Formats: sequence, C-alpha cells, structure tokens
Amino acid sequence: MRLHRVVTLITALGLCSQAQATPTQYPLTLENCGSSLTFQHAPARTVTIGQAGTEMLYALGLADKVVGTSLWFNEVDGKYKAQNDQVGRLADNEPSFEAVIGKRPELVAVELEWMVGPQGAVGTREQFHELNIPTYLMPSDCEAKDNRVGADGTRLEPFRIDSMYKSISQLAEIFDVQVRGQQLEAELKASLARSIAAVQKNQLQPPSALVWFSSAQIDMDPYVAGHKGVPDFMLKTLGVKNVVQSDEEWPTVGWETIARANPTFLVIARMDRRRFPADDYQKKLAFLRSDPVTRNMDAVKHGRIIILDAMAMQASVRMFEGLEQLAQAINGYDLSP
Amino acid sequence: MMTTLVRTLLACATLLITVILGVSIGETAIEPSVVFQALANKLWAAGHVLDPIDEGIVWNYRLPRALVAAACGAGLATCGVILQSLLRNPLADPYLLGISAGASTGAVLVALLGVGAGMVSLSAGAFLGAVTAFALVMVLARASGPPSGTGQIILAGIAGSQLFNALTAFLITKSASSEQARGIMFWLLGNLSGVRWPAVWLTVPVAVAGLAVCLWHRRALDAFTFGVDSAAALGVPVRQVQCVLIGCAALVTAVMVSIVGSIGFVGLVIPHAARLLLGTGHARLLPASALGGAVFLIAADVLSRTLIKGQVIPVGVITALVGAPVFAMILIGRRNAR
Repeated sequence: MRLHRVVTLITALGLCSQAQATPTQYPLTLENCGSSLTFQHAPARTVTIGQAGTEMLYALGLADKVVGTSLWFNEVDGKYKAQNDQVGRLADNEPSFEAVIGKRPELVAVELEWMVGPQGAVGTREQFHELNIPTYLMPSDCEAKDNRVGADGTRLEPFRIDSMYKSISQLAEIFDVQVRGQQLEAELKASLARSIAAVQKNQLQPPSALVWFSSAQIDMDPYVAGHKGVPDFMLKTLGVKNVVQSDEEWPTVGWETIARANPTFLVIARMDRRRFPADDYQKKLAFLRSDPVTRNMDAVKHGRIIILDAMAMQASVRMFEGLEQLAQAINGYDLSP
Repeated sequence: MMTTLVRTLLACATLLITVILGVSIGETAIEPSVVFQALANKLWAAGHVLDPIDEGIVWNYRLPRALVAAACGAGLATCGVILQSLLRNPLADPYLLGISAGASTGAVLVALLGVGAGMVSLSAGAFLGAVTAFALVMVLARASGPPSGTGQIILAGIAGSQLFNALTAFLITKSASSEQARGIMFWLLGNLSGVRWPAVWLTVPVAVAGLAVCLWHRRALDAFTFGVDSAAALGVPVRQVQCVLIGCAALVTAVMVSIVGSIGFVGLVIPHAARLLLGTGHARLLPASALGGAVFLIAADVLSRTLIKGQVIPVGVITALVGAPVFAMILIGRRNAR
C-alpha cells in the first residue's frame, strides 16, 4: 500500500516536467466507447450533456467552444460561473434530441452512457452520427462498465483514475489544446498526490466508511456508493475501506446492514437537487442523529460525518477537490482505538 | 370440535410466532438470544446489557416492520374478501377501485415533479392520489348506471385504473432520471424498508378497525353472496351497506398503499385460499383471511430480505412469485379432494 502511494507520487511529480506537446494533426480519428470518431478540424460548437463533461471543457479553457449545456446536478463550479453565464442552458435535466441538434453542434460531449446509449434518453449515438455529429462519451462511464445492468449501471472492474486522464487528453487532442490538457492533468495528479500524502502519516489500521447519496424516503434503505465506483476509488486511494460490497454504481443497502458494519466515518452528499427529502444533507444529518439505531453508530456518536459535494463523487474534475477535502477530514479525526 | 375460543387462541399464537420469526430473521444475523433479550429489555425493562445497535435494529427496525407487514397483509386480505363478496366477482381485489393506480400517480407527482417541494412525503402524496382516484371511480360508477349495480363499479374501476396508470407512465417517461425511476419503481412494487413505529400506530389500528367494521356487517355480506336482489329481499339495506363497506375498503387500502406501496396478490389470493379452506361464512372467513394475509406478508417480507444476501427484493415481487404457485396448488388440491 505504502509503496504504491510513493510510486503514484513520483509519477505525479514526474509529469510536471513532461516533454512539449505536439499540435493535433487533422483529420483526427479516435476510438471512443465503441465508436470511431473523425474530426476534420477542432469543433467550434459543442453541446454538453452532463455537468462533469461541461466543467472539464471549462477547465480546459474551452468555454467559448460550448454553445449549450444540459443535465446539471449542482450549481456550476464557482471558478467557471462567469464563463458559464455566457453559455445557453438547453435543459436542467436531459435535453430533447432536437434541442441538441438545433444548436448545430460539431461535437456532443456526454457524461453518462444512458443518455445516448442503445436506449438513449436523448437519442442514440447512431442518430447523432447519421447527422455527422460526433458524440464523445466520457470513458469513465463506458470502460469496464455495463450500463444495461442495475439502475445506474454496474462496474465490471473498479473505476480507474486513468479513464479521467484519458478524457482530458482526448478532449485536449480533439480541440488541439494539448498544452493546457497536459497542464491540467499535471495539476490534478499533483492534487491527488497531496491528498495521498496528507493521510499517509495517519492510522495503523485501515478505517472504513459509507458514502450516502440520497434515499427515496428518509427512513428507507438509502442509495449508497458501491464498491467499484468513483466514491469507492476515492476511499481506496486514501486507504479507507468501503463497507458496501455491491458491484452496482449506487446500490440500495438496508440501514440494518450499514449500522452493523459500523463504519469509522460517514460521507454524505450535498446537492442542490430537491427531489427527495434526503437530497438535503441537513435532513440526512438529522436522520442520522435521531434514528434510534444510526445515532448509536460510532461515526455519528463521534461526529465523524463528512459533507461532500455530489459533483465531487463523480468522475469529474471536482473529484480531486473532493479527495483533498476527504483527506483533510480523515486526517483531522483521532482514530486511535 | 374446536370452540371459538380455542380457534382464537390458535390464531393469536400463529400470529405471535410469525411476528417473532419476522423479528429474528433479517438482513444481518443476530443471535436469537440477543433478539429475545432486546425484546425483554423493551417490554419489561429486563436490563440485559446489549449492543445498542443490535437492540435498536430489533426494536426499531425489525419489530415495526413485522407489525406493519402483518397489519397490511390483514388489511388487504380483509378488503379483498369484502370486495369479492359485495361485487360478486372472483377477480375483485383491493386495487380494483383505482386505488393503487391513484396512489402511484400521487407518489410520482411528489417524487418526480417535486409537487410539495420536499415538504409532502411520498406517503402523503400516495394517499391523496388514492383517495382522488377512488372518488373519481365512484363518480363514474354513479353516473353510468343504477345506484346498486356492481358491474358499473368494476368497469369504472378499470377505467379509472387505466387512466391513472397511463398518467404515471407519462410522468415517469417524461421526467424521471434513472435513479428517480428506480426509487419510484422500488416503492411501487411494495417496500417495507422505511417503516418505523409511527407507521405501526397508523396501520395496526386501521387494519383492526377495518376488520371490525366488516365483521359487524358479516350477515349482510353473507346475504350478498346470493346477489344484490336476494340481499335486498332478506332485508339488507343494500345501498347503505355497499357505501359503508366499499368506503371502508378504499380507506384501508389507501392507508396501506401509502405506507408500503402497492403490494399485489395478497388481497386477491388470500381471500380465495381462505374461502377454499373454510367455506363462505363471513364470520370465519374474515378473521381467517386477515390472519392468512398477516402471516403471508410477514413471511414474504422475511424472504425478500434474505433471498439474496446484501440486497432487498421488493416484497410485491415475492408475494407474486411465492403466492401464485401456492394458490395454484390449493386450486388443484381442491379439485382432487372433491
């Protein structure tokens, strides 16, 4: 474990002094989630479906190439607010097919496969490709993941951070902004290394955790992070064990099972969505502190509850900030037995 | 020859054993001794020293769940009996009057469109939807035929159910994300995971009151077995009894649906099974159906929690999966016995 972290750290530092990037040679062809995409030139008009992809393009300095956004989960990251205000929002949730093509996009960047998969909520990839509109799907949601099984898909293999770097470098290549792409990647890797280093001096025995996203009703079995998804990757990276064993992305697990697993700390999602009462993290906190069973869990008794932005639990640039926040919080806990 | 007293005692003992079984078996393994100590602590302050989490799971999660399952099973089975008898239709069940369809629409409105902005719970939405749908069905039945006709009620119920099911489907396809659709589907198929003591205080009295009202009208229900005209000839106030009992069935069902979602099959099959075993006299049929429904639903809930480790299957799926073959066996067994 320790050796692994050191290696990650060295790799991260090494990337800062990487060789200069070469400009993209058009026409550019690349494989993306089972489709072959060809670009004659850098897309000037992009529509995004999914906040993670939107913010990644902003992070690459490509806000002026985005003509429409959709599928928002939370407020846009404060860093990009001014840029985002200049871009039209097609829909808060999934846009209609015609709303997307109405923008005459030269690229549609999609965060989640079920939006444009075989039963695409917006339309299938084929529908877009027939109109010569390439769809770029984030590798984090299609590689080693079966989106036909389970409500939010089922991971065949644990989420790999490489899939995030891959989307950054591929988007950078498509838009011919490789220098910025490599810079961003190096920044994120340095952030990751900082998080890992922060928890390294801690605990002899690995702590455990549960990540609670939301619940259909406050008392009901909650939606929690499965053991192969992004939140699990975050925990594992920091040397923390997820108490949930399901392969599903966000399985439903009973409070009885959770309470008896008695994790060292709890991570609860903060989001702007208000569909279920439990979307509100205050309601989650109130439940944990008042329910006759959960209030006896060690994490609740000792106040080890971390409130994390929902966007930081997804394959997004913000995940790295989430990691730093988690690392700091874990580091602050006195976990001596 | 068993006396009524012995039968009653036997029924209570069966129910008690099933509840204890429901409390002892759960998602995780808790020692039976711990279960009994936890119950003893709470019931007569026995003072056993237990892990507060184990104790809480037994007393605050499992026991309310078993009791609510019993109340819902009993309530739905009772409603099934009276609707089948009143409407003289073997296919009648508590959801015939558009109640589950209306409840679904109400729940979906709350969960997907954010009606009530998080202040109205899924349950409240479901209850309002159920009552609205029932009222609509009754208006339609009144408008379409003679006041005491049973055919109109069934047809109006089917029309109402179709309408509200279509509305639900429309709302889900229009506005649900996969995660929300899952939450809703899980709820629609019946879910006992969120029940705590407040649900017990609601469902148990409702089930008991429903059963009492029906038992009070047992002779009238017996008369209805021979048809509306015969009942009238026997001096039963047909309109009044119909109104009271159908209204009672609707309210009981609406309460149950709003707490646990639409658990199918119990209200349809348990009354038939009880009738096959005990005959058509309502003085015995009603309590027997209630007991059967209670035991069946507790057992189904235990199965739903234990069949796949670490995952809970909607209890409505279990009631259908287990109930259908059992019912088929009863039907076949009855033919062979004749």
